[in-house]
Amino acid sequence: MKLQGSYTLPAKREAVWQLLNDPQRLAECLPGCEQLEVVGVDHYRVRLKLGMAAISGNYTGSVKLTEKKPPAWCRMSVEGQGAAGFVQGEAKIELAGEGNQTVVRYAGEASVGGLIASVGNRMMELAARRILEQFFANLASQLRT
Amino acid sequence: MIPAAFEYHAPKSLEEALRLLSRHGNEAKILAGGHSLLPLMKLRLAAPRCVIDIGRIQALRYIREENGRIAIGALTTHTEVLESPLLRAKCPLLPQTAWEIGDVQVRNRGTVGWSLAHADPAADYPAAVLALDAELVAASVHGTRTLRAMEFFVDMLTAALLPGEILTEVRVPILPPRTGTAYRKLHQPASGYALVGAAACLTLGPGGIVERVAVGLTGVGPKAYRAVAVEKALAGKKASEKLLTGAARHAVPEHVEPLSDLQASAEYRTAMAVVFVRRALESALARAQGKPR
Amino acid sequence: MATATRYMGRPLKRKEDPRLIQGLSHYVDDLRLPDMHYVVFVRSPHAHARIRSMDTSRAQTAPGVLAVLTGQDLGNAVGVIPCAAQLPEMKLALRPPLATERVLFVGEPVALVVAVDRYAARDAAELVEVEYEPLTPIVDPEKALARGAPVLHPQYSDNVAYRWELEGGDVGAAFQKADKVVRQKMVNQRLIPVALEPRAVVANYKPGENKLTVWSTTQIPHLLRTQIAAALGVPEYIVHVIAPEVGGGFGSKLNVYAEEVLVAHLAMRLGKPVKWTESRRENFQATIHGRDQIATMELAVKRDGTLLGLRCHILADLGAYYQLLTPLIPTLTGLMICGCYKIPAVRVEITGAFTNKMATDAYRGAGRPEATYFIERAIDMVAAELKKDPAEIRRKNFPKPKEFPYATPTGLIYDSANYPKSLDMALKKSGYRRLRAQQAKLRRQGRYLGIGLSTYVEICAMGPSSAMPAGGWESATVRIEPTGKVNILTGASPHGQGQETSFAQIAADLLGLEPDDIHVVHGDTAIVPYGIGTFGSRATAVGGTAVYTALVKIRDKLATIAGHILQEDPQRLVFRDKKIFLKSNPAKSVAFAEAVGAAYIAKALPAGMEPGLEATHFFEPSNFTFPFGAHVAVVEVDPETGEVHLQRYVAVDDCGNVINPLLVDGQVHGGIVQALGQAFLEEAVYDENGQLITGELTDYAIPRAWDVPRLETARTVTPSPVNPLGVKGVGEAGTIGATPALVNAVVDALAPFGVRHLDMPTKRERIWQLIRKFKPTGSRPATKRVGDGRGRRGRRKR
Repeated sequence: MKLQGSYTLPAKREAVWQLLNDPQRLAECLPGCEQLEVVGVDHYRVRLKLGMAAISGNYTGSVKLTEKKPPAWCRMSVEGQGAAGFVQGEAKIELAGEGNQTVVRYAGEASVGGLIASVGNRMMELAARRILEQFFANLASQLRT
Repeated sequence: MIPAAFEYHAPKSLEEALRLLSRHGNEAKILAGGHSLLPLMKLRLAAPRCVIDIGRIQALRYIREENGRIAIGALTTHTEVLESPLLRAKCPLLPQTAWEIGDVQVRNRGTVGWSLAHADPAADYPAAVLALDAELVAASVHGTRTLRAMEFFVDMLTAALLPGEILTEVRVPILPPRTGTAYRKLHQPASGYALVGAAACLTLGPGGIVERVAVGLTGVGPKAYRAVAVEKALAGKKASEKLLTGAARHAVPEHVEPLSDLQASAEYRTAMAVVFVRRALESALARAQGKPR
Repeated sequence: MATATRYMGRPLKRKEDPRLIQGLSHYVDDLRLPDMHYVVFVRSPHAHARIRSMDTSRAQTAPGVLAVLTGQDLGNAVGVIPCAAQLPEMKLALRPPLATERVLFVGEPVALVVAVDRYAARDAAELVEVEYEPLTPIVDPEKALARGAPVLHPQYSDNVAYRWELEGGDVGAAFQKADKVVRQKMVNQRLIPVALEPRAVVANYKPGENKLTVWSTTQIPHLLRTQIAAALGVPEYIVHVIAPEVGGGFGSKLNVYAEEVLVAHLAMRLGKPVKWTESRRENFQATIHGRDQIATMELAVKRDGTLLGLRCHILADLGAYYQLLTPLIPTLTGLMICGCYKIPAVRVEITGAFTNKMATDAYRGAGRPEATYFIERAIDMVAAELKKDPAEIRRKNFPKPKEFPYATPTGLIYDSANYPKSLDMALKKSGYRRLRAQQAKLRRQGRYLGIGLSTYVEICAMGPSSAMPAGGWESATVRIEPTGKVNILTGASPHGQGQETSFAQIAADLLGLEPDDIHVVHGDTAIVPYGIGTFGSRATAVGGTAVYTALVKIRDKLATIAGHILQEDPQRLVFRDKKIFLKSNPAKSVAFAEAVGAAYIAKALPAGMEPGLEATHFFEPSNFTFPFGAHVAVVEVDPETGEVHLQRYVAVDDCGNVINPLLVDGQVHGGIVQALGQAFLEEAVYDENGQLITGELTDYAIPRAWDVPRLETARTVTPSPVNPLGVKGVGEAGTIGATPALVNAVVDALAPFGVRHLDMPTKRERIWQLIRKFKPTGSRPATKRVGDGRGRRGRRKR
């Protein structure tokens, strides 16, 4: 599943970059994040509750920033595993300053396996999009405060 | 296919159900006909801590004429909708839609209200209630409120019900003379859900002018919607095949993001939305003109 | 002794149905034993991964849990899953019952939980922690064979499971002298069998008696018993296998599965009765799949339509491991690739490939639907290329009726046939000429009717033991009880085919009784002598012949007894109306029950005769049988949506002599509908990561009642010389004959849009695109709105 899009955040590029690199604040933005624990440089263990409406599942996994060039871009990988299957994804995240705003462009590839892959086909892409939208909306509200 | 453990309540009255729901809050799920929730629970995609089975509340099962509209209790089954002489005579779009839902077993168990409340992007009723500009009544321990169909569908699997609310009634209009309705659907071959479902309600005025028209679409995007641009292209104009064909081209407005899955790409869905809107309009027009379709 | 046929040939209602319809029957999952425990398997969500670690400690201590086992825990206690196939230079790919180091397909079991109920077992299964290291999945069989592709089984250098070749006649010369060569690559997609009843196993071990009883949803109880004994390393006599009611198999239960062997092991290991019932999701992931062959067909033809030669390369996607017959199925495609045509020169090359998927194996038709599809599609392409009627191309290349038995260049001997007769009947019954005229007229109106033909031959009544992996005979015992009631014990294992009825019809005629006097017993290894089972359309032709022959033996004995009582020549006696009487003088008779009684009382038997009335026969067929037929499908394509509406279906089948036409029609109907599933709807889709994304019935479309018009069936009867009943077999014919007829009809409908071929399933969106993207050289064909969106519900009435 290919995922790409952009989102405009109400802050300068440096502020966005800082936010993405601050584990505690990042944790508050990750949708459904119930726990985030730093296990190394740019490497976190997370527990997420992900889903839509009545459908939800718990996943444990990790978030890693694998490459980065502050404050222009980084590569983020996420993986999680739970009773409903597994999710893994990697995306390049680019930040472009536009005045007091920052346009975030992401492009990546995500895959899911197990139960959610075999029965969730028709909703999968949209669910992924919604989770990303939520993530950016959370970033935006973090940046506003 | 064995669900996780859950607490089960089967209230006998709406009041009891509302009290239970307010007590258990987000941890509770409402079970009505069970055709959406139970499959999710069996697969453990949903594992609510508490299930409130409202299926035994007989008081929510009726179809009656009331204050110039038809009121349908939320727990009325699809079969009851399909077979209601009142609806067939005065608001046939709902029976026409019910006929296209699932199979006999699904129609005997599934309920009109909770099919709507589940807000499945491919369910059939949403298109019809949008085309009918229906009202939906939600109750909570604090009282009731009435929502218009237009504001009811929020997103994929998300209706505008607040925590603690139970959908109790659907109200549809008694259709005026010279009105024709139709629901046309491209079935998803495996599940029977709508890849595209178009509901049209069209009233002719003097001289064959389209006096009023409403078109609801389901299956196309993350939530059902009114095809307002189609309606605008028709209203006040003399009905003709050409007019309908032209109007149907506006079936998928820019703000709708068409779904794409194994069964149909976004491109195909968009094209089929145009075809099925046109077909629904054609049938509705023919019926409005008194031709059997 | 003449045999009056009073019941054979008659459409008797099934003796099985009253109990089934009333829910009075017992399937495996209906069994409840005291202190029964339940098994849930933990399965891999990955298509290809290394197992880094497994931690079962939390699951072990969960409430109600009796045991949690991994492959490590099992050690060598349970052997590998057997494969009966042997091909030259075939690589072995035997599957451990629980994966230990690596998983090779989504759904492969890695651990199991046994608990007091299904809920506890399922809850605990979620607590088993498995850490996987994902490896690159190999999903596409063509890429699996590419140089440098990752290798599935590291002991080998590539993913080629085997290569198999077959050549007959001078193929090079045939192609040299051809006027035209028609080439096409075609995909016969992967299917999921979807029997109504998923698999289920119950096992119970009694240590005192040293007796292991296994109830399983199987088509092969005796073979399963042998294999369970082998896998567990116990003597076969302690194992008792019962196949109670089995709710459909279609070949998917012609196997020995890890779950069957493991549940048997658990009953012995834990000393408790143990049950496992497959969920539909497991059924999709971990019960065998069918088909999945990619063929490149080349036909060398003369300008007049005479077929000169055939070259075919088949790439078969076998999945990750072999199940019982996995590698053999594509070879059946090779053997039958000529169809019902005289093709003097043939070359077939088959490559089996390993991929990270569930194994393919025998699914209704098993290799023959693929062969028939490939040749029948190719024949239609020849007709299109030469601008000839597809019926005439077919007729031109049939072997003549007097040429039978007919030897094919692939080494088979077709037993008997009259191909022109069945084709003529199908054309007449469908009104073929009128249909063609109607098609031309509708095309001018912008409507697209398609007429599809298929003339098929298939190979069944499997089969002579010399050509089978593990015995092709069948057993039957006829035991007449002292009261005169008859027990027939058959080694066949019907699971929907209705042999309780048809075998009773045979017996009633031979013994002069009523079908209700006869009871057919099957599926219990403690009662029935060793048998092979029900598959490959063999139960009547092989199992029925065993029954017939055993009946003849016992009738001879009864005639001798009756002759002794009546003081008449046994040869002159007739069995009818529960009496045995002198043909020339019916008044001179003895009641059937009296003759039977004499055999048991044994006071006045002819000198030297053994008492009792029981006869057993093991029938070894001398050849396969080759049923055939001609099908016509009529479809209309909605050019706006790409929807295909099946309007008519005419099937003329020849399965030799018919014992019960109702059962034959039922088999034909079911087969056609299953073919419709493959042609129009079904497709097991693994995504690029090897995830089975058609993992439930919400995404895997099987045919519904409303997809099917009234089926018009008819028969020709060409008895088989291979068995005394003259029967051939019909269990798979519909599936084999119908798929190409349906696809040929769709392609025919789309011919005005330049469509020459379309792979299955003929999806709406694909058809819509073909129509939309068509760039006509002349004027664009008109498209009229044919549908009104009432779609598949259109023809339903309320």
